[in-house]
Amino acid sequence: MENRLLEIKDLAVAYGEAQALWGVSAHVEKGSVVSFVGANGAGKSTLLRTIAGMNRPHRGGVFLEGRKLSGMRPEDVVNSGISLVPEGRRLFSRLTVTENLELGAYVSRARPSSTESLERVYGLFPILKARGRQIAGSLSGGEQQMLAIARSMMSNPSILMLDEPSLGLSPIVVKLMFELIGTLNRTGMTILLVEQNIYQALKISHRAYVMKTGRIAMEGSGEELLANPDVQNAYLGTLEETDA
Amino acid sequence: MLEYLTAGLLLQLLINGILFGTMYGLAAIGLSLIFGTMHIIFLSQGAVIVLMAYFCYWLFTLLHIDPYISTVILGSAALLLGAGLYQLLFRRAVRMEDKNISLLIAVGLMFLLENLMAVVWTANPRSISTSYTSSSISIGNLDISFTRLMGFVIAILATVGVTLFLKRTLIGKAVRAASEDIEAARLVGISPHRGNTATFAIGIGLSGIAGIAISTTYPFDPYFGFIFSLKAMIALALGGLGSVSGALLGGIILGVLESWAAFFISGGWADAIGYGVFLLVLMFKPEGLFVRSIKKA
Repeated sequence: MENRLLEIKDLAVAYGEAQALWGVSAHVEKGSVVSFVGANGAGKSTLLRTIAGMNRPHRGGVFLEGRKLSGMRPEDVVNSGISLVPEGRRLFSRLTVTENLELGAYVSRARPSSTESLERVYGLFPILKARGRQIAGSLSGGEQQMLAIARSMMSNPSILMLDEPSLGLSPIVVKLMFELIGTLNRTGMTILLVEQNIYQALKISHRAYVMKTGRIAMEGSGEELLANPDVQNAYLGTLEETDA
Repeated sequence: MLEYLTAGLLLQLLINGILFGTMYGLAAIGLSLIFGTMHIIFLSQGAVIVLMAYFCYWLFTLLHIDPYISTVILGSAALLLGAGLYQLLFRRAVRMEDKNISLLIAVGLMFLLENLMAVVWTANPRSISTSYTSSSISIGNLDISFTRLMGFVIAILATVGVTLFLKRTLIGKAVRAASEDIEAARLVGISPHRGNTATFAIGIGLSGIAGIAISTTYPFDPYFGFIFSLKAMIALALGGLGSVSGALLGGIILGVLESWAAFFISGGWADAIGYGVFLLVLMFKPEGLFVRSIKKA
């Protein structure tokens, strides 16, 4: 099972004086769903932003199939095959749905196959095809999240990183979103997920890391962590409500 | 005075205002694009316009090239100049995300250009007189100056061109995306510098076109540009940021206001009215007259 697509080695990141990550090491196997869960401020988003090239680590590195990514600019990271669906979706809200998708395939690795990619995301998210000429800002929250994921898929990534995809969505849509992530994974997409909705995230994850104040606190399969009493006490106190 | 007032006269003033206002509009589109993507207040826009007017003057007096042929030459040259200005002067300032530095560079460039032009062409006003400079087209009681009408037509064509570029080409869409959310744009692989270079090229390219239109119509001197930049800023405030057609319309409204104010009050009041409207718009409708305030979802 040592088919490591992404390798994070001893990654340390600081914002000025504030240390956000203290030597995080982790890996993602090809074809799996790996999630990073934990409370607010645990460093999960910083980790994704660092992999995406938005933050620079002062120690350690990120490697995609052995190739060093850390130090690259965000636009080069996407072109290497890692796409981030940022927290809060960050769509181009004044552009149409179709234009958002076209720009998703802006990188040179994606341009030759952009027509097929478009067919593929329309297959996954038929609603986006119907909404094609609408301004992205006019979509509902769930549709916007779908568009954000679809836009990232357009770059034809080897790994899709999702930062809090359930944020601000109604419980029914959250459930739908996690089902979609599962479906995406079954079509062969490797997924790196960051979530505060720990129960849902662990349920669909092959492996997961629990983060605490910028460090990895626990590691295991999704089921193991769900069954772990420490995890249950610390994070799953509202299990019944989240599962509703 | 009122006995002269006829519908025909009002219409004539309106047309003059529209024709001159499109020049403000062209400059405002450039300012809008550059501010929208890089948050640079490009105060040297007017000076660049005058520089282009001088180049057109040179091509005409030294090489006898017709100004409308110069539109093609200087329009393309201005596109390159814009790309060069960005790479040489603004690239680093934009990377540092410091608005003060880029504003200072723009002001410095303006003074540099003004003084260079004063050295090369002296401070005496220049104008281009071709065989058709004083010809006009009469429609009923209306007289429309040929060169002003040409300037208007060229301005509309340029605006349509820019709009098509922004709406139809991938790089144009990338520029719009980057002007809305630069971080999200980088996450889909848009290099900010490429978009910025294109934006600057277009902004300066438009000033090339405006410079030619002005050189064929009005006398100009090296210091004419600063006021022109200010007027373009008023047009921009009227039209609202982020809209190409809004900027053009803002310019036209300002032109009409000035034309009427100059006739009904006096020439000296035209500027005062323009700045007064500027303040009123900023106070009561800062997002511009044509932009509906959209709350972000």
